[in-house]
Amino acid sequence: MADQTMYQAVGRRKAAVARVWLRPGQGGWTINGRSLEEYFPLLRHRDAAEKPLAVMESVGSYGVHVRVRGGGPTGQAEAIQLAIARAIVSADEEARSTLRAHDLLTRDPRVVERKKPGRPKARKRFQFSKR
Amino acid sequence: MSRRNRATPREIPADPKYGSSEVTRFINVLMLDGKKSTAEGIFYDAMRKIEEKTGQPGLNVFRQALANTKPVLEVRSRRVGGATYQVPMEVSPRRRDSLGRRWLIQFARGRSGKSMADRLAGELLDASRGDGGAVRKKEEVHRMAEANKAFAHYRW
Repeated sequence: MADQTMYQAVGRRKAAVARVWLRPGQGGWTINGRSLEEYFPLLRHRDAAEKPLAVMESVGSYGVHVRVRGGGPTGQAEAIQLAIARAIVSADEEARSTLRAHDLLTRDPRVVERKKPGRPKARKRFQFSKR
Repeated sequence: MSRRNRATPREIPADPKYGSSEVTRFINVLMLDGKKSTAEGIFYDAMRKIEEKTGQPGLNVFRQALANTKPVLEVRSRRVGGATYQVPMEVSPRRRDSLGRRWLIQFARGRSGKSMADRLAGELLDASRGDGGAVRKKEEVHRMAEANKAFAHYRW
C-alpha cells in the first residue's frame, strides 16, 4: 500500500470484526485479498457492506481495503458496514448526521444468547416427564 | 411480550432487488428454518414467472395480490356472562398486513404444483385477480363478521 492519507476504522457485528482502510480517490474493493463480488456472492451482503457509501453518494470515491475475521457472511458484511461508516466519519465529520440518520453508526448489540446449564439451548427446556 | 410495555414495531430493511420492505417481510414469512437465500430464490423466481406470464411488473401484481387479501373485519371471541360471542371487530392495519401475508403463503403451500415458486406465482396471480384460496379465506372471514353483526355492540 502506498503511503498517503487513509482512513482506518474497526466495526463489529455478531462474531465478526472488520478493519477497513479508505483511500480517497478512485474506487475499488479488496476484502481479505478478494474482490467484493468474489467475497460476497449474495446481493444482500454486498448491499449491506456498500450501504454507507451509497447513502453518502460516494461509491467510487474511496478505495476500500478490508480485513475481516470471524463470524459468517452476514455478520462480516454488517461489520464492514459499520467500519466503513466510522471511517467515513473520520474522513468527513459532516457525514456523521447523515449516517446517524440511517442508523449506520450504531453497533448492533444483538448476539447469540448463551446456552444455559440444565437446558439443551438458551431457552429451550428438556422434555418434561411427570414420573 | 411484556404486559407493562407495548413492543414498538421494528423497522425492516428494504429487499435487495425491489427496494421494498414489504417484500422483505414477505420473504421473511416465507422462510423456513432460517434459510433466507432459499426463500429469496423462491420469491424472485415466482416474480419472474409472473412477469413472463402477464408481462406486468411482478411488484405490481404482488402489491395487488396483497391488497386483495387483507381483511377489513374479523370476528374475535368474547365471553359475556358465561356465553361466548363472536364479536366482529375492525382489523388493525398491521394485523391486516400480517394476515394477508400469512394466508397468501399458507394457500400457496397448499396448492398443487411442481415447485414452491410455481405455487406462489399461481397464488399471487389468482389473488391479484381477486380469486384463489387466500382471497376466499378473506371473504370467509368477512362473511363471519357480517353474520355476527348483531354482537357488534360487544366491541371492546
